[in-house]
Amino acid sequence: MSKGNRGRDRSAAKRIVEQQNAAERRRRVTIWTSVGVVAVLVIAGLIGWGVVANQDNSTASTPSVAVDEGTAFAVGSGPVTVDIYEDFMCPICHEFEKQTGPTIAQMVTDKKVTVRYHPVSILDRASNGTKYSTRSAGAAAAAAVDGKFLEYHNVLFENQPAEGSDGLDDAKLIELGKSVGLGDSFATAVNDKTYDSWVTKSTETFASRGYNGTPTIVVNGKQVTGPNETLPTTEIFTQAVTAAAG
Amino acid sequence: MDLRQQPNRLAAAWPWISTLARLGLAAVFLIAGGLKVTDLAASARAVNAYDLMSYDTAKVIGAVQPFLEIALGLLLLIGIATRLSAIIAAVLMVIFIAGIISAWARGLQIDCGCFSKGGELTGGRTAQYGLDILRDVGFLALAGILIWKPRSKFSLDSVLLGER
Repeated sequence: MSKGNRGRDRSAAKRIVEQQNAAERRRRVTIWTSVGVVAVLVIAGLIGWGVVANQDNSTASTPSVAVDEGTAFAVGSGPVTVDIYEDFMCPICHEFEKQTGPTIAQMVTDKKVTVRYHPVSILDRASNGTKYSTRSAGAAAAAAVDGKFLEYHNVLFENQPAEGSDGLDDAKLIELGKSVGLGDSFATAVNDKTYDSWVTKSTETFASRGYNGTPTIVVNGKQVTGPNETLPTTEIFTQAVTAAAG
Repeated sequence: MDLRQQPNRLAAAWPWISTLARLGLAAVFLIAGGLKVTDLAASARAVNAYDLMSYDTAKVIGAVQPFLEIALGLLLLIGIATRLSAIIAAVLMVIFIAGIISAWARGLQIDCGCFSKGGELTGGRTAQYGLDILRDVGFLALAGILIWKPRSKFSLDSVLLGER
Protein backbone atom coordinates (compact mmCIF):
# COMPACT_ATOMS: atom_id res chain seq x y z
CA MET A 1 0.00 0.00 0.00
CA SER A 2 2.71 2.41 1.01
CA LYS A 3 4.64 1.32 -2.02
CA GLY A 4 1.67 2.23 -4.22
CA ASN A 5 1.39 5.65 -2.54
CA ARG A 6 5.01 6.38 -3.16
CA GLY A 7 4.54 5.46 -6.83
CA ARG A 8 1.66 7.91 -7.15
CA ASP A 9 3.65 10.64 -5.41
CA ARG A 10 6.55 10.07 -7.71
CA SER A 11 4.44 10.23 -10.86
CA ALA A 12 2.67 13.38 -9.59
CA ALA A 13 6.03 15.03 -8.91
CA LYS A 14 7.22 13.98 -12.31
CA ARG A 15 4.15 15.58 -13.88
CA ILE A 16 4.75 18.84 -12.04
CA VAL A 17 8.37 18.93 -13.11
CA GLU A 18 7.32 18.22 -16.70
CA GLN A 19 4.77 21.02 -16.58
CA GLN A 20 7.37 23.38 -15.16
CA ASN A 21 9.81 22.40 -17.86
CA ALA A 22 7.20 22.91 -20.55
CA ALA A 23 6.27 26.33 -19.16
CA GLU A 24 9.92 27.29 -18.98
CA ARG A 25 10.41 26.16 -22.55
CA ARG A 26 7.39 28.16 -23.76
CA ARG A 27 8.71 31.20 -21.93
CA ARG A 28 12.10 30.84 -23.60
CA VAL A 29 10.54 30.38 -27.03
CA THR A 30 8.36 33.46 -26.53
CA ILE A 31 11.32 35.57 -25.45
CA TRP A 32 13.55 34.49 -28.30
CA THR A 33 10.88 34.79 -30.99
CA SER A 34 10.06 38.27 -29.66
CA VAL A 35 13.72 39.22 -29.84
CA GLY A 36 13.76 37.84 -33.37
CA VAL A 37 10.72 39.87 -34.41
CA VAL A 38 12.18 43.09 -33.04
CA ALA A 39 15.52 42.37 -34.69
CA VAL A 40 13.90 41.71 -38.08
CA LEU A 41 11.91 44.94 -37.88
CA VAL A 42 14.92 46.98 -36.82
CA ILE A 43 16.97 45.54 -39.68
CA ALA A 44 14.14 46.25 -42.15
CA GLY A 45 13.95 49.83 -40.93
CA LEU A 46 17.71 50.23 -41.21
CA ILE A 47 17.60 48.95 -44.79
CA GLY A 48 15.06 51.65 -45.67
CA TRP A 49 17.09 54.28 -43.88
CA GLY A 50 20.26 53.10 -45.59
CA VAL A 51 18.63 53.34 -49.01
CA VAL A 52 17.72 56.98 -48.36
CA ALA A 53 21.08 57.84 -46.85
CA ASN A 54 22.87 56.44 -49.86
CA GLN A 55 20.77 58.32 -52.39
CA ASP A 56 23.03 60.86 -53.93
CA ASN A 57 21.62 63.39 -56.30
CA SER A 58 24.61 65.69 -56.05
CA THR A 59 25.97 64.28 -59.29
CA ALA A 60 22.82 65.31 -61.14
CA SER A 61 23.74 67.53 -64.05
CA THR A 62 21.61 70.63 -63.81
CA PRO A 63 20.63 72.10 -67.19
CA SER A 64 22.66 75.25 -67.76
CA VAL A 65 19.58 77.36 -68.50
CA ALA A 66 17.57 76.31 -65.44
CA VAL A 67 16.43 79.01 -63.01
CA ASP A 68 14.92 78.97 -59.50
CA GLU A 69 17.49 76.77 -57.75
CA GLY A 70 18.00 75.03 -61.05
CA THR A 71 14.48 73.58 -61.11
CA ALA A 72 12.70 75.56 -63.80
CA PHE A 73 12.82 77.00 -67.29
CA ALA A 74 11.72 80.59 -67.69
CA VAL A 75 9.61 81.87 -70.53
CA GLY A 76 8.88 85.58 -70.93
CA SER A 77 10.06 88.62 -69.04
CA GLY A 78 7.02 90.11 -67.31
CA PRO A 79 6.95 91.43 -63.72
CA VAL A 80 4.59 88.75 -62.33
CA THR A 81 6.18 85.36 -61.75
CA VAL A 82 4.05 82.34 -62.54
CA ASP A 83 5.42 78.97 -61.45
CA ILE A 84 3.83 75.95 -63.08
CA TYR A 85 4.75 72.49 -61.80
CA GLU A 86 3.73 69.89 -64.33
CA ASP A 87 4.13 66.20 -65.02
CA PHE A 88 3.95 65.36 -68.72
CA MET A 89 1.95 62.22 -67.87
CA CYS A 90 -0.68 64.15 -65.89
CA PRO A 91 -4.00 64.50 -67.74
CA ILE A 92 -5.13 67.45 -65.64
CA CYS A 93 -1.92 69.28 -66.56
CA HIS A 94 -2.85 68.73 -70.19
CA GLU A 95 -6.32 70.01 -69.41
CA PHE A 96 -4.85 73.12 -67.82
CA GLU A 97 -2.59 73.68 -70.82
CA LYS A 98 -5.52 73.39 -73.23
CA GLN A 99 -7.74 75.56 -71.07
CA THR A 100 -5.38 78.29 -69.87
CA GLY A 101 -2.29 77.81 -72.06
CA PRO A 102 -3.38 80.33 -74.75
CA THR A 103 -4.10 82.96 -72.06
CA ILE A 104 -0.66 82.40 -70.54
CA ALA A 105 0.98 82.66 -73.97
CA GLN A 106 -0.79 85.98 -74.50
CA MET A 107 0.37 87.24 -71.08
CA VAL A 108 3.93 86.31 -72.03
CA THR A 109 3.62 88.14 -75.33
CA ASP A 110 2.22 91.18 -73.50
CA LYS A 111 5.20 91.05 -71.12
CA LYS A 112 2.88 90.71 -68.14
CA VAL A 113 4.34 87.50 -66.74
CA THR A 114 7.47 85.42 -66.51
CA VAL A 115 6.45 81.78 -66.53
CA ARG A 116 8.77 79.32 -64.80
CA TYR A 117 7.96 75.80 -65.94
CA HIS A 118 8.99 73.12 -63.46
CA PRO A 119 8.84 69.65 -65.04
CA VAL A 120 8.44 67.08 -62.25
CA SER A 121 7.97 63.32 -62.17
CA ILE A 122 5.35 62.23 -59.71
CA LEU A 123 3.53 59.79 -62.00
CA ASP A 124 6.35 57.40 -62.85
CA ARG A 125 4.18 54.58 -61.52
CA ALA A 126 1.60 55.30 -64.24
CA SER A 127 3.70 54.13 -67.19
CA ASN A 128 4.20 50.40 -66.60
CA GLY A 129 7.72 50.83 -65.30
CA THR A 130 9.05 52.87 -68.22
CA LYS A 131 9.18 55.99 -66.02
CA TYR A 132 7.68 58.18 -68.71
CA SER A 133 7.33 61.12 -66.32
CA THR A 134 11.05 61.17 -65.62
CA ARG A 135 12.08 60.48 -69.21
CA SER A 136 9.80 63.14 -70.68
CA ALA A 137 10.85 65.74 -68.11
CA GLY A 138 14.51 64.87 -68.75
CA ALA A 139 13.91 65.28 -72.48
CA ALA A 140 12.25 68.66 -71.82
CA ALA A 141 15.37 69.73 -69.93
CA ALA A 142 17.49 68.73 -72.91
CA ALA A 143 15.17 70.74 -75.16
CA ALA A 144 15.57 73.74 -72.83
CA VAL A 145 19.36 73.53 -73.06
CA ASP A 146 19.00 73.68 -76.84
CA GLY A 147 16.66 76.66 -76.57
CA LYS A 148 13.36 74.99 -77.42
CA PHE A 149 11.73 74.32 -74.07
CA LEU A 150 8.31 75.80 -74.69
CA GLU A 151 7.99 74.31 -78.17
CA TYR A 152 8.91 70.88 -76.86
CA HIS A 153 6.73 71.28 -73.77
CA ASN A 154 3.74 72.03 -76.00
CA VAL A 155 4.37 69.16 -78.38
CA LEU A 156 4.71 66.76 -75.43
CA PHE A 157 1.29 67.74 -74.14
CA GLU A 158 -0.22 67.56 -77.62
CA ASN A 159 1.07 63.99 -77.85
CA GLN A 160 0.38 63.02 -74.26
CA PRO A 161 0.10 59.25 -73.80
CA ALA A 162 -2.73 57.81 -71.74
CA GLU A 163 -2.08 57.57 -68.02
CA GLY A 164 -1.25 53.94 -67.28
CA SER A 165 0.12 53.21 -70.76
CA ASP A 166 3.80 52.61 -71.50
CA GLY A 167 4.15 56.26 -72.44
CA LEU A 168 6.16 57.39 -75.45
CA ASP A 169 9.44 55.60 -75.98
CA ASP A 170 12.75 57.44 -76.28
CA ALA A 171 12.68 57.20 -80.08
CA LYS A 172 9.30 58.92 -80.13
CA LEU A 173 10.56 61.58 -77.69
CA ILE A 174 13.44 62.29 -80.08
CA GLU A 175 11.15 62.29 -83.09
CA LEU A 176 8.91 64.88 -81.40
CA GLY A 177 12.04 66.92 -80.70
CA LYS A 178 12.98 66.83 -84.38
CA SER A 179 9.49 68.05 -85.23
CA VAL A 180 10.17 71.27 -83.30
CA GLY A 181 13.68 71.69 -84.69
CA LEU A 182 15.80 69.93 -82.08
CA GLY A 183 18.87 68.13 -83.33
CA ASP A 184 21.53 65.59 -82.48
CA SER A 185 22.66 67.03 -79.15
CA PHE A 186 19.06 66.72 -77.95
CA ALA A 187 18.84 63.14 -79.21
CA THR A 188 22.08 62.27 -77.42
CA ALA A 189 20.86 63.76 -74.15
CA VAL A 190 17.61 61.79 -74.37
CA ASN A 191 19.38 58.54 -75.17
CA ASP A 192 21.98 59.08 -72.44
CA LYS A 193 19.29 60.14 -69.95
CA THR A 194 21.55 63.09 -69.16
CA TYR A 195 18.96 64.99 -67.16
CA ASP A 196 16.93 62.16 -65.61
CA SER A 197 18.66 62.40 -62.23
CA TRP A 198 18.12 66.15 -62.34
CA VAL A 199 14.38 65.45 -62.68
CA THR A 200 14.48 63.32 -59.53
CA LYS A 201 16.27 66.09 -57.69
CA SER A 202 13.93 68.88 -58.80
CA THR A 203 10.92 66.70 -57.96
CA GLU A 204 12.32 66.47 -54.43
CA THR A 205 12.61 70.25 -54.34
CA PHE A 206 8.99 70.41 -55.46
CA ALA A 207 7.93 68.11 -52.60
CA SER A 208 10.10 69.93 -50.07
CA ARG A 209 8.25 73.12 -50.98
CA GLY A 210 5.12 71.41 -49.71
CA TYR A 211 3.44 70.77 -53.05
CA ASN A 212 1.75 67.42 -53.58
CA GLY A 213 0.00 67.44 -56.90
CA THR A 214 0.27 68.51 -60.47
CA PRO A 215 -0.44 70.92 -61.89
CA THR A 216 0.59 73.23 -59.07
CA ILE A 217 0.20 76.82 -60.17
CA VAL A 218 1.86 79.54 -58.14
CA VAL A 219 1.53 83.25 -58.86
CA ASN A 220 4.12 85.47 -57.17
CA GLY A 221 4.67 82.83 -54.52
CA LYS A 222 0.99 82.19 -53.82
CA GLN A 223 -0.62 78.92 -54.89
CA VAL A 224 -3.70 79.38 -57.07
CA THR A 225 -6.47 76.79 -56.95
CA GLY A 226 -10.16 76.58 -57.70
CA PRO A 227 -12.70 75.87 -54.96
CA ASN A 228 -11.80 72.78 -52.87
CA GLU A 229 -8.30 72.72 -54.30
CA THR A 230 -9.54 71.94 -57.80
CA LEU A 231 -7.91 73.13 -60.99
CA PRO A 232 -8.28 76.92 -61.24
CA THR A 233 -10.32 78.16 -64.18
CA THR A 234 -8.71 80.58 -66.62
CA GLU A 235 -10.76 83.31 -64.93
CA ILE A 236 -9.42 82.53 -61.46
CA PHE A 237 -5.89 82.34 -62.85
CA THR A 238 -6.24 85.67 -64.68
CA GLN A 239 -7.61 87.31 -61.53
CA ALA A 240 -4.63 86.04 -59.54
CA VAL A 241 -2.20 87.47 -62.09
CA THR A 242 -4.05 90.79 -62.21
CA ALA A 243 -4.05 90.99 -58.40
CA ALA A 244 -0.33 90.19 -58.30
CA ALA A 245 0.42 92.86 -60.90
CA GLY A 246 -1.20 95.36 -58.54
CA MET B 1 -26.88 21.88 -31.00
CA ASP B 2 -26.15 21.20 -27.38
CA LEU B 3 -25.61 24.45 -25.54
CA ARG B 4 -22.98 22.91 -23.30
CA GLN B 5 -20.90 22.04 -26.31
CA GLN B 6 -20.85 25.52 -27.74
CA PRO B 7 -17.96 26.96 -25.72
CA ASN B 8 -15.87 23.98 -26.72
CA ARG B 9 -16.69 24.39 -30.36
CA LEU B 10 -15.87 28.08 -30.17
CA ALA B 11 -12.62 27.24 -28.42
CA ALA B 12 -11.85 24.84 -31.25
CA ALA B 13 -12.73 27.48 -33.85
CA TRP B 14 -10.51 30.24 -32.44
CA PRO B 15 -7.21 28.98 -33.85
CA TRP B 16 -8.85 28.96 -37.28
CA ILE B 17 -10.30 32.45 -36.87
CA SER B 18 -6.89 33.65 -35.68
CA THR B 19 -5.25 31.98 -38.66
CA LEU B 20 -7.49 33.90 -41.05
CA ALA B 21 -6.85 37.14 -39.18
CA ARG B 22 -3.10 36.50 -39.22
CA LEU B 23 -2.93 35.70 -42.94
CA GLY B 24 -5.28 38.57 -43.79
CA LEU B 25 -3.19 41.06 -41.86
CA ALA B 26 -0.01 39.64 -43.41
CA ALA B 27 -1.49 40.20 -46.88
CA VAL B 28 -2.47 43.76 -45.99
CA PHE B 29 1.06 44.66 -44.92
CA LEU B 30 2.78 42.81 -47.76
CA ILE B 31 0.59 44.50 -50.38
CA ALA B 32 0.81 47.94 -48.77
CA GLY B 33 4.59 47.71 -48.43
CA GLY B 34 5.12 46.09 -51.82
CA LEU B 35 3.25 48.85 -53.62
CA LYS B 36 5.44 51.51 -51.99
CA VAL B 37 8.85 49.91 -51.96
CA THR B 38 9.30 50.22 -55.72
CA ASP B 39 9.20 54.02 -55.58
CA LEU B 40 10.56 55.38 -52.32
CA ALA B 41 10.55 58.97 -53.57
CA ALA B 42 6.81 58.70 -54.12
CA SER B 43 6.43 57.13 -50.68
CA ALA B 44 8.30 60.12 -49.22
CA ARG B 45 5.95 62.50 -51.03
CA ALA B 46 2.94 60.58 -49.69
CA VAL B 47 4.21 61.03 -46.13
CA ASN B 48 5.12 64.64 -46.85
CA ALA B 49 1.58 65.29 -48.10
CA TYR B 50 0.32 64.87 -44.55
CA ASP B 51 2.27 68.02 -43.76
CA LEU B 52 3.17 66.76 -40.29
CA MET B 53 6.96 66.89 -40.55
CA SER B 54 9.76 68.40 -42.57
CA TYR B 55 10.41 66.95 -46.00
CA ASP B 56 13.73 65.49 -44.87
CA THR B 57 12.00 63.61 -42.06
CA ALA B 58 9.20 62.52 -44.39
CA LYS B 59 11.84 61.18 -46.75
CA VAL B 60 13.26 58.89 -44.05
CA ILE B 61 9.82 57.79 -42.81
CA GLY B 62 8.68 57.25 -46.40
CA ALA B 63 11.64 54.97 -47.05
CA VAL B 64 11.57 53.08 -43.75
CA GLN B 65 7.81 52.46 -43.75
CA PRO B 66 7.54 50.13 -46.78
CA PHE B 67 10.42 47.95 -45.54
CA LEU B 68 8.84 47.78 -42.08
CA GLU B 69 5.47 46.87 -43.61
CA ILE B 70 6.96 44.10 -45.72
CA ALA B 71 8.98 42.72 -42.79
CA LEU B 72 5.93 42.77 -40.52
CA GLY B 73 3.88 41.12 -43.27
CA LEU B 74 6.42 38.32 -43.55
CA LEU B 75 6.60 37.86 -39.77
CA LEU B 76 2.82 37.57 -39.61
CA LEU B 77 2.83 35.21 -42.57
CA ILE B 78 5.16 32.76 -40.86
CA GLY B 79 3.47 33.42 -37.53
CA ILE B 80 6.36 34.16 -35.20
CA ALA B 81 5.78 35.88 -31.85
CA THR B 82 2.28 36.45 -33.15
CA ARG B 83 1.04 38.49 -30.21
CA LEU B 84 3.97 40.91 -30.36
CA SER B 85 3.70 41.17 -34.16
CA ALA B 86 -0.01 41.89 -33.82
CA ILE B 87 0.65 44.55 -31.17
CA ILE B 88 3.12 46.26 -33.51
CA ALA B 89 0.62 45.99 -36.37
CA ALA B 90 -2.05 47.55 -34.15
CA VAL B 91 0.26 50.40 -33.14
CA LEU B 92 0.99 51.10 -36.83
CA MET B 93 -2.73 51.08 -37.64
CA VAL B 94 -3.44 53.52 -34.82
CA ILE B 95 -0.71 55.82 -36.18
CA PHE B 96 -2.15 55.58 -39.71
CA ILE B 97 -5.68 56.27 -38.47
CA ALA B 98 -4.47 59.25 -36.42
CA GLY B 99 -2.66 60.59 -39.49
CA ILE B 100 -5.76 60.33 -41.66
CA ILE B 101 -7.96 61.94 -39.00
CA SER B 102 -5.47 64.78 -38.67
CA ALA B 103 -5.40 65.33 -42.45
CA TRP B 104 -9.18 65.25 -42.50
CA ALA B 105 -9.48 67.67 -39.59
CA ARG B 106 -7.13 70.13 -41.29
CA GLY B 107 -9.12 69.89 -44.51
CA LEU B 108 -6.21 68.59 -46.56
CA GLN B 109 -7.13 67.05 -49.89
CA ILE B 110 -4.71 64.15 -50.09
CA ASP B 111 -4.67 60.51 -50.96
CA CYS B 112 -4.00 58.66 -47.73
CA GLY B 113 -1.26 56.69 -49.47
CA CYS B 114 -2.35 53.57 -47.69
CA PHE B 115 -2.30 51.29 -50.69
CA SER B 116 -0.70 53.61 -53.16
CA LYS B 117 2.05 56.10 -53.21
CA GLY B 118 -0.66 58.60 -52.48
CA GLY B 119 -0.04 62.27 -52.03
CA GLU B 120 -1.31 63.93 -55.11
CA LEU B 121 -5.00 64.56 -55.41
CA THR B 122 -5.97 67.22 -57.84
CA GLY B 123 -8.69 68.14 -60.23
CA GLY B 124 -11.89 67.35 -58.45
CA ARG B 125 -10.94 63.98 -56.97
CA THR B 126 -12.02 64.13 -53.39
CA ALA B 127 -10.40 62.38 -50.50
CA GLN B 128 -12.39 59.54 -48.96
CA TYR B 129 -11.12 59.78 -45.44
CA GLY B 130 -14.18 58.10 -43.91
CA LEU B 131 -13.69 54.96 -45.97
CA ASP B 132 -9.93 54.95 -45.37
CA ILE B 133 -10.47 55.15 -41.62
CA LEU B 134 -13.15 52.48 -41.68
CA ARG B 135 -10.85 50.14 -43.57
CA ASP B 136 -7.97 50.74 -41.18
CA VAL B 137 -10.28 50.14 -38.21
CA GLY B 138 -11.13 46.80 -39.82
CA PHE B 139 -7.43 45.95 -40.01
CA LEU B 140 -7.03 47.09 -36.42
CA ALA B 141 -9.79 44.62 -35.49
CA LEU B 142 -7.83 41.82 -37.18
CA ALA B 143 -4.81 42.77 -35.09
CA GLY B 144 -7.06 42.86 -32.03
CA ILE B 145 -8.19 39.27 -32.64
CA LEU B 146 -4.55 38.18 -32.81
CA ILE B 147 -3.56 40.06 -29.66
CA TRP B 148 -6.45 38.42 -27.82
CA LYS B 149 -6.05 34.93 -29.34
CA PRO B 150 -2.55 34.69 -30.83
CA ARG B 151 -2.63 30.90 -31.16
CA SER B 152 -3.17 30.01 -34.81
CA LYS B 153 -2.68 27.19 -37.27
CA PHE B 154 0.25 26.87 -39.67
CA SER B 155 2.39 29.21 -37.59
CA LEU B 156 5.98 28.96 -36.50
CA ASP B 157 4.76 29.66 -32.98
CA SER B 158 2.63 26.51 -32.95
CA VAL B 159 5.60 24.47 -34.14
CA LEU B 160 7.98 25.93 -31.58
CA LEU B 161 5.55 25.88 -28.68
CA GLY B 162 4.01 22.56 -29.59
CA GLU B 163 0.32 22.25 -30.44
CA ARG B 164 -1.76 21.87 -27.35
